[in-house]
Amino acid sequence: MRIRRDRALSALILLPSVVAVGVFVYGFIGWTAYVAMSNWNSFIPDLSFAGLRNFADLFQTPRFQIDLRNTLVFTLTFLAGCLGIGLLLAVLLDRQIRGEAFFRNAFLFPMSISFIVGGTVWQWLLNPSTGVNLLLESAGLGALKSPWYTEPRIAIYAVVIAALWQMSGFTMALYLAGLRGISDELREAARVDGASDLQLYRHVIIPLLHPITLSAAIVLGHVSLKIFDLVFAMTGSGPAFSTDVPGIFMFETTFRGNRFAEGATISIIMLIMVAMVIIPYLIYSSRTEAEA
Amino acid sequence: MVRGRPRATRVLLYAILAFFAAFYLMPVYVLVNNGLKSFREVSLSRMWAPPQQVTLEAFGKALRELAPNLRNSVVLVVPAALISAALGSVNGYVLAKWKFAGADVVFPLLLFGMFIPYQSVLIPLVQFLQWLGGLLPMPLYGSITGLVLVHVVYGIPITTLIFRNYYATVPTEIVEAARIDGAGLVGVYRNVILPLSMPAFVVVMIWQVTQIWNEFLFAVIITSNPAQQPVQVALRNLAGSQIVEWNVQMAGALLAALPPLLVYVFLGRYFLRGLMAGALKG
Amino acid sequence: MARVYLEQVSKKFGVVTAVNDVTLEIPDRQFTVLVGPSGCGKTTALRLIAGLEEATAGNIFIGDRLVNDVAPKDRDIAMVFQNYALYPHMSVYDNMAFGLRLRRYPRTEIDRRVKEAAGMLGIEMLLDRKPKQLSGGQRQRVALGRAIVREPQVFLMDEPLSNLDAKLRVQTRAEIKKLQARLQTTTIYVTHDQVEAMTMGDRIVVMRDGLVQQVDSPLNLYEKPSNLFVAGFIGSPAMNFVEATLAPRNGALVVDCGSFAIEMPPDLAAIAKDWTGKPVVFGIRPEDIQDVAFARDPNPAWVLPAMVEVHEPLGSDVILYLSTGPTTIVARVDAHSSARMGQPAEVVLDMRKMHLFETETHKAII
Repeated sequence: MRIRRDRALSALILLPSVVAVGVFVYGFIGWTAYVAMSNWNSFIPDLSFAGLRNFADLFQTPRFQIDLRNTLVFTLTFLAGCLGIGLLLAVLLDRQIRGEAFFRNAFLFPMSISFIVGGTVWQWLLNPSTGVNLLLESAGLGALKSPWYTEPRIAIYAVVIAALWQMSGFTMALYLAGLRGISDELREAARVDGASDLQLYRHVIIPLLHPITLSAAIVLGHVSLKIFDLVFAMTGSGPAFSTDVPGIFMFETTFRGNRFAEGATISIIMLIMVAMVIIPYLIYSSRTEAEA
Repeated sequence: MVRGRPRATRVLLYAILAFFAAFYLMPVYVLVNNGLKSFREVSLSRMWAPPQQVTLEAFGKALRELAPNLRNSVVLVVPAALISAALGSVNGYVLAKWKFAGADVVFPLLLFGMFIPYQSVLIPLVQFLQWLGGLLPMPLYGSITGLVLVHVVYGIPITTLIFRNYYATVPTEIVEAARIDGAGLVGVYRNVILPLSMPAFVVVMIWQVTQIWNEFLFAVIITSNPAQQPVQVALRNLAGSQIVEWNVQMAGALLAALPPLLVYVFLGRYFLRGLMAGALKG
Repeated sequence: MARVYLEQVSKKFGVVTAVNDVTLEIPDRQFTVLVGPSGCGKTTALRLIAGLEEATAGNIFIGDRLVNDVAPKDRDIAMVFQNYALYPHMSVYDNMAFGLRLRRYPRTEIDRRVKEAAGMLGIEMLLDRKPKQLSGGQRQRVALGRAIVREPQVFLMDEPLSNLDAKLRVQTRAEIKKLQARLQTTTIYVTHDQVEAMTMGDRIVVMRDGLVQQVDSPLNLYEKPSNLFVAGFIGSPAMNFVEATLAPRNGALVVDCGSFAIEMPPDLAAIAKDWTGKPVVFGIRPEDIQDVAFARDPNPAWVLPAMVEVHEPLGSDVILYLSTGPTTIVARVDAHSSARMGQPAEVVLDMRKMHLFETETHKAII
């Protein structure tokens, strides 16, 4: 009797959250999808059915095509940079450094800064006429000056730099925890087996860090696919849409242009991109959790 | 390799670390440096030079202009974090310690909510808040209350995840012993689980406070009136005056960044400790 | 195959001296065991030989080569770790092949050696598995295999059996011994278990607090311990120690333990006569004490009446805890002894096997 009552109670406790998430997540996604398939592109709601025409139109839009390309470039560069820098810093910090706490905090604190503040600061820093260029010039490295985000061809990389500043500490922390989990005995066995430091990292340590690399890549990947705040604060759409991303496009077209159906369409495409990364990972990790 | 590595490698190591440390700390230097300058002295072209005369006038002005927004942020963050933490705790408890059919379905569905781009729910959200606010005696769209509700709901997945993972590390024997002693679902929570929850609670609160304070998209859409806006949104508006007061801008950015930064500096080790205690894996 | 020689080797960790000016020769092709309680320095000594620690003082030779500054990978040694230290992400085959691959051995040679070692250890069917799929005993064999394929000059083993359950430990003990006899590689084996040491070692090095107590064959350690510590460490149940003085009585020398006194055999009395009247420690092993009813020709001067406090039947013998007033003595007597708890009993001590130790220096007199 007690058990049945408790079971009912547990379902009751979860109910509000399940209902709330059901409505606010799945219900709203459904509604957004419906709007995406409607004709509502002005201030007055018009929910007549338009099928997949909005999607077709969107993929033909030059701005959106640029957005997709920007997202791809951004995601790949950001991922590679974040994982690489994070791993490098973790490896360096794992070697009994004096002042380890100082360095670790220096690398990690940007995570607590909002993308808005980060984007604003990096806008100032990478402003070609002031900012870092000034510093380079006064240090005698004027040759390294760059137009940063004012030059369409490389603007997106300026945003990547800001993103790396904010997020690579996170990857570093993950890798550091992973490195600490590799026992000394294992490293000694490798040394006795004949591994030099480089071989140790290549054959033993980095392969053992693969699970971390995977989780980090998934988390970073889905953040970069839906990036908005950072770009909005730093460059907006950028010269010739060179830093435009779907998040910004959606924001402008929906809340400045009142083209709700177009905005909804962009949102759905963003959702699908994120889902393609997250869902396989959720399935994979629940399967490995079941095994363990 | 025996101890006593070549000195040269060690020097290179510190050099690389110092280079990166400079890269990471550079923005802070710029903010603090220029925030301490007077309006006459500050200019973008001299942003790297230290102030000839240190003054707090920029911070004072930024504080005055942002004070209502900072207050809005606090009014937003504290209830939202607390409520989402409370919900996460009971949800996590039920999912971790009470098996029932459907738990394996509910949990992943809940988790997915953590990853969605908020753009995909914005349009219905606005409509819903306007509708619901019309039903209730208080407005939801265009108010901090609405924003609190939004952050509570969208915070449920992550808080539930953290608490569930943490409670999974509590040995089932303790729960079973309590049940044999006569406690039911509520009794076990009150007498066993809740007293043990501090590490996970710390992690959740730190995470939610930081995330909600720093969040922009929901804030800018839902609070349209400048008087109600949290500080991240107000910061964008600070940039919109005719004559740009760079020192005030930078001081303002620093102020907006300060609370989560302080939380990280002072409570960071509790965050890590809570993580080690099992609050978040993978 | 090579001998290992430690010459006045010390290792300090801050203020703690783990290995204290040790000079030790480990002969070629033999199975040498370093044994002692935790913290005695045996593992540190092993790690010094491996090159995982740097000596604070002294010289370490492998073969005729001074290896103080040589990295572990160049010392031509292989090591079996206490927790096996298998690479979790590699298959058993790859675990065993790793060291050879690093040294760029040809693939055919690697394959031959791995398969051969696997055959020796009975793990041929496991070559494709990952360590987490193996039992503790199987993992331990893989760790051994990894060492064998390297065909090193010296095997170093750091308590490899301590994580196995008792039965598996006994079985694996014998297998390791057979393996070493077959391969004839110089082996240095560290353990805290004196049974393991006695059963496996050709030569045993007993260590304590960083110092070598005695280096000898198992039998000599047992029969002729050079000090109190070694005498009490080797043998189970441990040797009985009683504080005593030597007193002359009726023309013979007697060990006076306060609550009882036993006559010494004349030849042993002659050795110990210089300690007459001085305090000593009398030692006698439990297995050298027998129930009077089961002893052959018991010497009446060696009989001891006592009260049985605890009676532990093992099946093969009986362990008796006997009290003579203030002193408790442990005896290992015949399984059919009629002694019972709370009852008086008579036992006879085989005084030909007795030991005497100096009270202050703990050195052996007899």
